[in-house]
Amino acid sequence: MGKRGLAGFGLVIAFIALVPTVVTFEYVLNLLIMLFIYVIVAESWNLLGGFTGQVSLGHSAFFGIGALITRLLWVNHMPIPLALLAGGASAVGLAAIIGMPCLRMRSAYFPIGTLALAMIAQITIGNLFPLPGSLSSEYLVTYNTVTRYYLALLVAVLTVGTVYRIVRSRTGLALVAIRDDEAAAEAMGVKTMRYKVLSLMVSSLLVGFGGGIFAYHQVSFYYYAPFELSWAFLPTLTSFIGGLGTILGPVVGAICFLGLSELFALSLGEVHIVVFAVTFILVVLFLPGGLMSINTKIRMMAFTLKQRAVGIGR
Amino acid sequence: MGQTLVYGLFNGALYGIIALGIALVFGIMRYLNLAQGSFIILGSYASFFLFKAGLDPFVSIPLVAAGLFLAGIAVFKVSFSRLLVYPDPGKIKNSLLISFGLMLLIDSLATMAWTGDERSITPAYSGLTIGFAGLRFPLISLASAACAVVLIFSLHFFLSRTYFGKSIVAVSQDFEAASLMGINVNRTFLVSFGISVMLASIPAVFIGFKSFSPTVGIQWFNKGIVVVMLSGLGNIYGVFPAGLFLGIIEAISVYVFGAPYREVTGLVVFVIIMVLFPKGLFKGQEL
Repeated sequence: MGKRGLAGFGLVIAFIALVPTVVTFEYVLNLLIMLFIYVIVAESWNLLGGFTGQVSLGHSAFFGIGALITRLLWVNHMPIPLALLAGGASAVGLAAIIGMPCLRMRSAYFPIGTLALAMIAQITIGNLFPLPGSLSSEYLVTYNTVTRYYLALLVAVLTVGTVYRIVRSRTGLALVAIRDDEAAAEAMGVKTMRYKVLSLMVSSLLVGFGGGIFAYHQVSFYYYAPFELSWAFLPTLTSFIGGLGTILGPVVGAICFLGLSELFALSLGEVHIVVFAVTFILVVLFLPGGLMSINTKIRMMAFTLKQRAVGIGR
Repeated sequence: MGQTLVYGLFNGALYGIIALGIALVFGIMRYLNLAQGSFIILGSYASFFLFKAGLDPFVSIPLVAAGLFLAGIAVFKVSFSRLLVYPDPGKIKNSLLISFGLMLLIDSLATMAWTGDERSITPAYSGLTIGFAGLRFPLISLASAACAVVLIFSLHFFLSRTYFGKSIVAVSQDFEAASLMGINVNRTFLVSFGISVMLASIPAVFIGFKSFSPTVGIQWFNKGIVVVMLSGLGNIYGVFPAGLFLGIIEAISVYVFGAPYREVTGLVVFVIIMVLFPKGLFKGQEL
């Protein structure tokens, strides 16, 4: 992304930031807040899954613990910025305790191990906190969607920015090297374990913030709701479909996911999950670069067709 | 305590049968089929509706098995067959991703078709128990244990005595050498996958007797994969004892920590094994 790209990025952000001054329709704002949360979760997952090659099916645990801690501290009168930080820190703590051992597994088993951890977290929290947490009246009086909108936007921009900075740095090169060939990276002197841990830490911190935003935005939710496995499946689906290991891929995927789920919101069941699952399988099989690479793919196909037409190749 | 252990053992037998299906494709083709649980639940629905139509669940097993076999073949043809070119780690990872998508697909289609309600198959004999030595033995659990034993032995004879079974073992040991010996490797993979999905029909019926809904497939898959990891890769004969072991551990944990944490126990055991023994619990084949 050069200067023009940066300017375009800034323009888009400025445009999104102006939305609440024009639109007072709560539905649109809530939808956009959900989109920001999806972007946070997907982009932070992408750092670990897309750039480091460690596909995690357990990000719901980090998202959930961030939501839980932020919510508990916030409703006990801690200012929301501090509560958010504590939520993020707790996600990092959880990653240190339960996520790091998973990195010891062969990378092919990492998804299953993290999935098991996510299920452990979901069941345990469901047992410990069986009741929903609702806001008390003093919080409801001061509830303001626009504040939440800007906070969510801020964290989303921070997340995308952080991942961008990391990926463009020396660290990012090390992460990509691990993804492409772990043994070769180790042989070239990359401390693979250290970089994998770093990637997991940053990823869980950001997704913990996402959970905090979720807890700050929702008026009432079951404490185990952010621990549900759908929060672990969501970033996997959106990142793969948008484009694994690209900065914009997860954003595109999140927009598609939210758009589809709103489109089919009135129909019974989960049509958007069906559409996404089929697309996911097709992407894994035929389009490993996701939607972001579809342009190149089509050009490649056109090129081969043209070559065949004039009789070169094959 | 004794009664809890009895239930634990019977659950363990069920876990053993679930794990057989997973172990078969994992051991032979290095495919990790996350959707196995969803296939089981599909089978449960099939036998539920056949029961509603007046067919006894035990009689419907062959029908369900045939249906699942065809479903497995079709799924393999469409998706998994494209992964054969990858080396082992790539196979595990990509099959895991594809079956993850497949699981979401089957689960949400099942929710759309049959709602998320919990159901169970309730024939007249479902509550019957046999008393022995002061303990109660549910009739259906006895049947499931018997099925497990029969299944293990028939699988053993299939793999060690029949020509096709032997070719499956040969392919699992070294598929290049097997293909040089004139074995059609692709067809072997195809049929083994079909058989592994077909094996889901038996746990399907017994889970049907308990209770099921479209989204519980993944929980049963988890039981299965824990047992597979416990028994070691490619070790089909270790699956049944490992299943019983998990059942007993769960029973003890119910006794100590209470019923809500039963699901957690197996998963914790699984994570500990994966972390402490990243190369597998048994030294046979590398994971």
